[in-house]
Amino acid sequence: MARGENQEAQTGNVPAASSAAAGPKPAAAGSGKGAEGQSVVRRLQSELMALMMGGDPGVSAFPEGDNIFNWVGTIAGSAGTAYEGTSYRLALAFTAEYPYKPPKVRFDTPCFHPNVDAHGNICLDILQDKWSSAYDVRTILLSIQSLLGEPNNDSPLNTQAAALWANQEEFRKMVEKLYKPAA
Amino acid sequence: MASAGHPREPGKKEEVANTASGPGASDLDDPQFMCCVCLDLLYKPVVISCGHMSCFWCVQQAMHIFQESHCAVCRQPYKHFPSICQLMHHLLLKLEPAEYKRREKEILEEEKRIDTYSPQIIEFLNSKNNEAGSDEEFRNEDSETEPPQEVSLDGSTVDEHPKKIKLKDVSCPLCKEMLYQPAVLNCGHVYCVSCLPSLNEEAPKCHVCGSLHPGDFPNVCLDLDHFLEEYFPAEYESRGQKVQSKKGQFNREGSSSGTSSAKGSSRAQHADALDIHISIGCDSCGVYPIRGERYKCKDCTELIGFDLCGTCYRSSSKLPGRFNQQHTPDHRMELDNSALLPSFLRGQELQMIEALIAPGTMVPILFGNQGMDDHDEGQGEAVVEEPVVAPGDMLHIVNNNQEIEEDNGEEEHEA
Repeated sequence: MARGENQEAQTGNVPAASSAAAGPKPAAAGSGKGAEGQSVVRRLQSELMALMMGGDPGVSAFPEGDNIFNWVGTIAGSAGTAYEGTSYRLALAFTAEYPYKPPKVRFDTPCFHPNVDAHGNICLDILQDKWSSAYDVRTILLSIQSLLGEPNNDSPLNTQAAALWANQEEFRKMVEKLYKPAA
Repeated sequence: MASAGHPREPGKKEEVANTASGPGASDLDDPQFMCCVCLDLLYKPVVISCGHMSCFWCVQQAMHIFQESHCAVCRQPYKHFPSICQLMHHLLLKLEPAEYKRREKEILEEEKRIDTYSPQIIEFLNSKNNEAGSDEEFRNEDSETEPPQEVSLDGSTVDEHPKKIKLKDVSCPLCKEMLYQPAVLNCGHVYCVSCLPSLNEEAPKCHVCGSLHPGDFPNVCLDLDHFLEEYFPAEYESRGQKVQSKKGQFNREGSSSGTSSAKGSSRAQHADALDIHISIGCDSCGVYPIRGERYKCKDCTELIGFDLCGTCYRSSSKLPGRFNQQHTPDHRMELDNSALLPSFLRGQELQMIEALIAPGTMVPILFGNQGMDDHDEGQGEAVVEEPVVAPGDMLHIVNNNQEIEEDNGEEEHEA
């Protein structure tokens, strides 16, 4: 067997969400081919269903507009951490290779954190080499939520934040100062 | 890179199956046999040696094209793409006939689109038996394991009995009793884990099909074990007592707790990266990717091709292809090195290579049979030159690949 790749991976520009899951508007009629990425769409729809049925406190996610390949997630800072009382928006972009490849996840709301850079990029192993096809939107968001309270200061993207982490009082002030909640 | 304080193991779904009400009660809308990758009912399930189960395609697509793969649930490394577990396949077909048929239809559509097929299971028993004899002896891998009655059951509504599953559907080929703590070999056949040591201590040899089980000693497939415990509570308990009383005889424990070591097998990778046939797997033992000698069939016309590793090429027992190829013994096989890393890449860091060849590319074609010299030309060109089945699709892939490449670069930069 030589893997005749890759069925799922054909579209760089993913087809618009085909159906039910997305909002009230009719699905964008843009891409003529429906077949490609069907299984990705199906999986994302199941995830959406599961999230809507039984949500976890502190995390939520929903597709952005008509495109089920782009989601907006929200996580709340856990109680007892420097992020208590804050709420962050994240952008999740899925490719046609999902779930064999992780989605790209970025903070939309500015976040002062050792493992988040100025553009909102996140350094988290499960979004890179430790990705597993059994992870889903929910587990990604929960992982990021727990990352907030337990940063890895050994490989910081934001060195200032990493240096400040030891002083939780000051750190909390910076978090608040730079926090710009989404409208 | 931050490592997550993993809030839970990947794939551990909390939904607990229809606990109440005994056997047969609400078999439908019972999510216990859900694939953690596609989040749908398992279809043509494959059980990895760690005991975790996914659909045929979900495992196949998640395997790493030039390194050992890791279980999506527990991350235990594995190197072989196991055969479909026919016992599970028939079990699901009986438990959830309507849903399973729906899945079959969906997957078949997808398979038609990519022109590559998963192994036929029931269908070939019915329809292909009248084909040429040589073909048959290759394809009926499992016909003798399944009692003939099974065949008639694909008409989904036949069975209205309270118990859709009979004890004989879930019996161990060695002790002939109901499976207790079942473990699945690479060939897809299921045994009580306590029966396995009697096959052979070193490398278990399947009693049913005769193939050796490569890789780690298989763990109990807990999903199946839990199902049996719920579905046949009385039998399960008595089997448990019996096995417990026998246990003294066996050195190996019948528990799922890591009989296999994750360590020893890994981490010599950089050294022997040179003999890896990227994204080429053996159609007999399922090792993926093949290391060392690779034999390719010159006569198989399927898009996916038919390949054997050196060991399987020299062994006498050859299983049918993993993708329903119509391979026969009179086909000609030849040594093929076209999927090895081209020489100019050798010695580079594997990560660099990964950036070049993200899983999900047409690697076998990129490094096609055109001699090693022209590989440093653009990938796109190499692909376009190859007059293979669906040029349109491949162009897509190339575009996509380039995107991935950029993306990877970006990420590594940031990390």
